[in-house]
Amino acid sequence: MSMNEFLSTYGALIVGMVLAAILALSLYLPLMAGQLSLASPGFYALGGYIAAVLSTKVLLQNGQAISPFPVHLLLFEMLLAGIIAGLLAVLVGVLALRLRGIYLALATIAFVEILRVLSLNLDITGGAIGIFSIPQPFTNAIQYLLIAAPLLLLSAAFVYRLERVRAGRALLAIREDELAADTMGINPTFYKVAAFTLGAALASMVGALSAHFLNTWNARQGTFDASIAYLAFVLVGGSRTFLGPIAGGMLLTALPEFLRAVAGIGGLPGWLSQFLREGRLIIDGLLIVLVTIYFPQGLITPDLFKRRRKAAEKKES
Amino acid sequence: MDFGHLLQQILNGLSIGSVYAIFALGYTLVFSILRIINLSHGAVFTLGAYFTYTLTGEPFGFNGVLARAALPFGLPFPLAMLTGGLVAGLVGVAIERFAFRPLRERGADPLLTLVSSLGVAVVLVNVIQYLVGAEIYSYPGNVLNTFGNVPAAINFGSDTNAIPVRTVQIVIFIFSLIILALLTYFINRTKIGKALRAIAEDPVTASLLGINVDRFVLLTFFLSGFLGGLAGTLVGLSVSIAGPYFGIAFGLKGLAVIVLGGLGSIPGAMLGGLIIGLAEAFVPAELVAYKEVIAFALLFLILLIRPRGLLGRAAAQKV
Repeated sequence: MSMNEFLSTYGALIVGMVLAAILALSLYLPLMAGQLSLASPGFYALGGYIAAVLSTKVLLQNGQAISPFPVHLLLFEMLLAGIIAGLLAVLVGVLALRLRGIYLALATIAFVEILRVLSLNLDITGGAIGIFSIPQPFTNAIQYLLIAAPLLLLSAAFVYRLERVRAGRALLAIREDELAADTMGINPTFYKVAAFTLGAALASMVGALSAHFLNTWNARQGTFDASIAYLAFVLVGGSRTFLGPIAGGMLLTALPEFLRAVAGIGGLPGWLSQFLREGRLIIDGLLIVLVTIYFPQGLITPDLFKRRRKAAEKKES
Repeated sequence: MDFGHLLQQILNGLSIGSVYAIFALGYTLVFSILRIINLSHGAVFTLGAYFTYTLTGEPFGFNGVLARAALPFGLPFPLAMLTGGLVAGLVGVAIERFAFRPLRERGADPLLTLVSSLGVAVVLVNVIQYLVGAEIYSYPGNVLNTFGNVPAAINFGSDTNAIPVRTVQIVIFIFSLIILALLTYFINRTKIGKALRAIAEDPVTASLLGINVDRFVLLTFFLSGFLGGLAGTLVGLSVSIAGPYFGIAFGLKGLAVIVLGGLGSIPGAMLGGLIIGLAEAFVPAELVAYKEVIAFALLFLILLIRPRGLLGRAAAQKV
């Protein structure tokens, strides 16, 4: 297979993996402070609608969508989507983050459902049909990496740094014991809302990019199913280091393709290859159950690196 | 709105509200004992509806592994519904055994169990889709005719100004009231119910007093699955089985019901179900598209104003 063939076959998958990794980071941010928020798909959908409406109804040239769509306008849409989602997140966060544990998860589920039903019924979002023919800035899928990859690198670098500075340690302290953290002079509400807002802005920016990437946007983009999928990214990958969600998002997005390839291997019994092709979501669900039971911290844990470092040190001495 | 139409809306609201109540009690029973929300409850609800359909002897559609398959026999509808509920209860027991107990024995974070139950929901829903496809199923004919010839609707108005209420809605309401009454009796008046309440109050003390907690947890999951399965069949009877995913939306709405009533409160779940059912019945026709928002708007509001719900007890904060 030549490089070009490979890219045209798997270009969309590779971009999808990178976007999934960023979405997983958006859920990981509030989780750093121990807050299980399932709101990311809501903000993702919101960002997508902002980009879809702007590029098909507002930023027109002679009454037509601009095609090819200028990259600087795409970046502007992403920025705007991030800001609007951030503002909304501050509002929702101040109200909802007084709640803890299960109550917060429930409030964010309600938030996502409310946004979904609104987008199903409002005129500006195209109702149940959604918005079609969103203009493309690029001619083929793989070129979206020009924006997706830097966004992933920036957000990963940001979270990497965050885990090592005072603000990040404050988040971890809140996760371990909110009351104790409060007593030590950390303002839990401030840090929780900040983490929630950053996650929301990130998810919304990915949404804006995805709307162009997928060419069409509708209410199916922000559903409870999507909440579960993102949660699986983080939990399967690992919820104790930023590398976990990135790995989880990439692996689980590539999994169906991988299973399809396995199903194509000759010599498998018919029922097995059918299951591998069509039972992907069953396998997803089983993974969630098994990982929570047997690997409660996910596949990639901070210990993994510590152990390797120690082993390396031993070798040197 | 004249009295007749008011009555019509109230009956419709009570009918669906009482099904919400039955369904939500499944969440509440598990929560009151384990302090965990079992998010696979919506999937068990769906399973119950499909079990009943299977037991009536009807064939499946053209998609999925079991395309066109059917049982060699068919039960009359009421019997199929009860058996379907029992099988759903057994599924509940299996879920406890495989997805909850390993985490409980390790004393894991309740959020992890929440996630594990979500995984179970994903598996169940997609197993249904894999086996019988995503098409819509309806129970055969007028199932009420098991009891002789029953009219499809009862007219509460006059001949000139008809105010029909579907007979199915009335039957569902009466049946649900019976189930709710039986359950209330069971929890409050029987020895097993007393043991369940003792565990809900304090599991450690209850086990010191000789109550086998593990066995009662299994019983709770069985009851929860039974109620969920029954609710699934009732909704399938009132509307239709709208594919494997129809329990997900209902499951989320059930969360609104239990939070509104107060997490872990049995009368609260009943009250919450009826309130949300009635609130939905009174949505004006021109806003009917937004009906689905009501439950979640109420959920969000109650969480902000009074997180413990209408009848819930405030959780003591351990320091």
